[in-house]
Formats: sequence, structure tokens, C-alpha cells
Amino acid sequence: MIIITRPNVSDAEIDHIRERIESVGMRTHLSRGEHRTIIGCIGDESLLQEVPLRSLPGVESVTPILKPYKLASREFAVDRTIVRVGARDGAATFGGQAITVIAGPCSVESHGMLIETAHAVRAAGATMLRGGAFKPRTSPYAFQGLGAEALRLLADVRAETGLPVVTEVMDTRQVDLVAEHADMLQVGARNMQNFALLAELGRVRRPILLKRGLSATIKELLMAAEYIMANGNHDIVLCERGIRTYETATRNTLDIAAIPVLKRETHLPVIVDPSHAGGDAGLVAPLAFAAIAAGADGLIVEVHPDPENALSDGDQSLAPPAFAAMMQHLEAFAAATGRSIGVEAPTAWAVA
Amino acid sequence: MTDSAQNTEALAELTRCRAEIERIDNEIIELLAKRLALGKRTGELKRLAGLPILDPTREAAVIRRVTGLARDAGLPSEPVREVFWQIVGMSRRAQDEGREGRE
Repeated sequence: MIIITRPNVSDAEIDHIRERIESVGMRTHLSRGEHRTIIGCIGDESLLQEVPLRSLPGVESVTPILKPYKLASREFAVDRTIVRVGARDGAATFGGQAITVIAGPCSVESHGMLIETAHAVRAAGATMLRGGAFKPRTSPYAFQGLGAEALRLLADVRAETGLPVVTEVMDTRQVDLVAEHADMLQVGARNMQNFALLAELGRVRRPILLKRGLSATIKELLMAAEYIMANGNHDIVLCERGIRTYETATRNTLDIAAIPVLKRETHLPVIVDPSHAGGDAGLVAPLAFAAIAAGADGLIVEVHPDPENALSDGDQSLAPPAFAAMMQHLEAFAAATGRSIGVEAPTAWAVA
Repeated sequence: MTDSAQNTEALAELTRCRAEIERIDNEIIELLAKRLALGKRTGELKRLAGLPILDPTREAAVIRRVTGLARDAGLPSEPVREVFWQIVGMSRRAQDEGREGRE
């Protein structure tokens, strides 16, 4: 249930409306815009039958939300959410005018390769660095990542380059450690419905990059986001990374339609991972172009200084020159949708 | 004043501020302990009076009151509400524990 208030509603009226809702044991969420305010009700809606919501002072309309996700739903927020990553000036933003490109190796292999990649992707226009420390691999015999050592390397390279860092957290036991080193925590596709992990991430004061599960529906992805939000963390960026279909020519099928559908269903930013979707370096650029054309707020791309000798996912990693070439072409697609690549202009910050 | 003298002064002031912050944190913890103790006592009284522990109407009134106080003090009211929902939740759990100990 959402309550839309009258344009000139006072603080006291909002307080009163919220008190009435909270008096029956529900919770409220406030979203204030320039022209209107939305009060979202969270909890068992049957409790509200006794409350004469429509006749409370300041209430303009009351609308039930029939979808199972509430906090994540488009109706719950007046404006689209802008997620900021990194504390310093020039931090990356998702969901604003700027398109943010995250790039870096599948897994962190050494300081040398990480710093080389970071400088290369930054020069090409990427504003965030990715790098796996803990790797969920299909085979227990495959390289599992450098773990805590990789987290330290990521933090070092962030200090050297100024690029905020995102890395995956696989387990509730790693949450504090990863949050200490990274600017953004990634939930991998295989963990999208690890509800214990999602609940734990709700208590973290770091933005979350939530990847869609290999066989998850859009609704299930939004319910996973709802899980994190219900536990207190509202800074979530969703990521479409391809789903499993009967097609075998590509590793996964990039669900392009998921981008506009998510934009309609939620106020959260949406980015695309063209590397995992295609599983083939040759597909990365065309999928990235399609994603931006379809309205994605950003990309996460695997770049390795020497893809041939990468310890993981070499087939789908771009070498720095190929990444730079892709970024050059990407600008035209961004411009076609009225956006630009890189850091948000200072004026836009002031408005948001 | 030279840059280094300014630096030294800023660092000294920073140390003083941090000491003051720690003193305030001590007070917050003491006040939380007092508040929880009172919460437990109200739990006992509710049982004696035959009232349920969970009282959403009272909780909503507490939250509304502190929202107003926060606003009057020039604080951002949404984060303050979150903090007080945590405190109210702690208090409710403390009241519940009291009951389990008795039964």
C-alpha cells in the first residue's frame, strides 16, 4: 500500500499519517520528492483495514501495491534511486545521467596485473574497478581466488588509482572483511537466493551489486533486492548477466528485455554484464552496445592484460586495447539515449 | 601562522574532539542501559496489569515524538527514526526475555 500526500502536506500531517499506520504494527517508508511525497506501508496489509487512511489530513490517494516486492517497486519511490559508490570526489554513480562502466579482471591474480589493468581501464573511461577475491567456481578443482590477500591488493590499487572497487562476497562469514576493503559488495548470480547472505548485506553500510541468478525470473531478482532492503540497506544496483536457455552458441542468453522491464518495475539502477552473458570476448562489445541502447545505467566488463594466460574466464575477457575501442564506440550509444559515460557532472549532484 | 603550526594545532584539536566524542558515547551507552532497565520494569508492570507486551500504538507514539524532537533539534529525522526503531525493538526484546525468565 502506498499513500500519496497532497502537494502542500505539512511535517505534522506526515507524522500523524505514519503514526496511524505504525500504530497497527506496520512500518512506513518515506520518499520525498520536490512536488509530492509517498508514504509506503510495509507489513501485513490486512492490519490497515481498521485505519481510515483516505480521510486522514494530508492524504491525496491510497493505492494498493499488488506486487510481492514493495520497497523495490517503482511506485514506492518518487524519484529513481541514484546509488553512489566511493567516498571521495569523483565517486561513481548509478542511476543518474552518467553511465558508469566497471572494468577489471575476473579474479585478482597479482598486484602487477591489477594495477596494470586499473590504469588501462581508467584511461579508457571506466570509473570503477572490479576484481574477484573469492571465486564461486563450478569445479572445486578450479582456481578459487586469492581471498583475503586479493582484498588487500584491491584496496592498495584503489588508493593508487582512486577507482572505487567492487568485489564478490560469497558467504555471510566474509561480509565484514569484504566491507572493510571494498566500496561495493557484489552478490554473484549463484548466490542471488542465498537469503541468509542477503539479510546480512541488509545490515551493511555499503552499496550492493546484485546479479540476477542464472535461472531466476525478474520477479525473483526483485524479491532478492527486497530482502536486502527489508533488512535496512536501500543502496542496490541490479545486474542482468544472461540467463540459461536452450541456446548453446552463447554461454548464457542476455535478456535485453529485462532492462526496460526492470526500469518499469523498480526505481533501482540496472546494469549489464556482457562478459558473462556471452562468455566470449567477441560478443562483449555488441552486447554492451545493446545494453546501453536499451537503457542500462552501466556495465561491468571483464578486462585482463593477458587474457590468454588468465587464471579464470580468459575466453570472455577483453585485452585493454579491445576494451578501449569498445569504450570509444560506446559514447555514441550513450549519447543516443541522452546520457554520457563517466562521472556525474557536479550540477547533477546538487539536484540529486 | 606557518602551515606546520596550523597542522599541529588542528591535530591537537582533533584529539580533543575525539576524546569528547568518546565521553558522549559513554553517556549514550549508560542512557541505553537505563532505558532498557526501565523497559524491563514496564514489561513486569504490563504483566501485573494484564496487558500484552507488544503495544504498537505506544511504539508508534514514541517514534512520532522523537521524530518531532529530532526535527526541532535540526537533525535529519529519518535516520533518527531508524535509530529509535532499533532502540524500541531492543526494549521489546528485553521485556520478552523478562517473561521467559519468569515462566
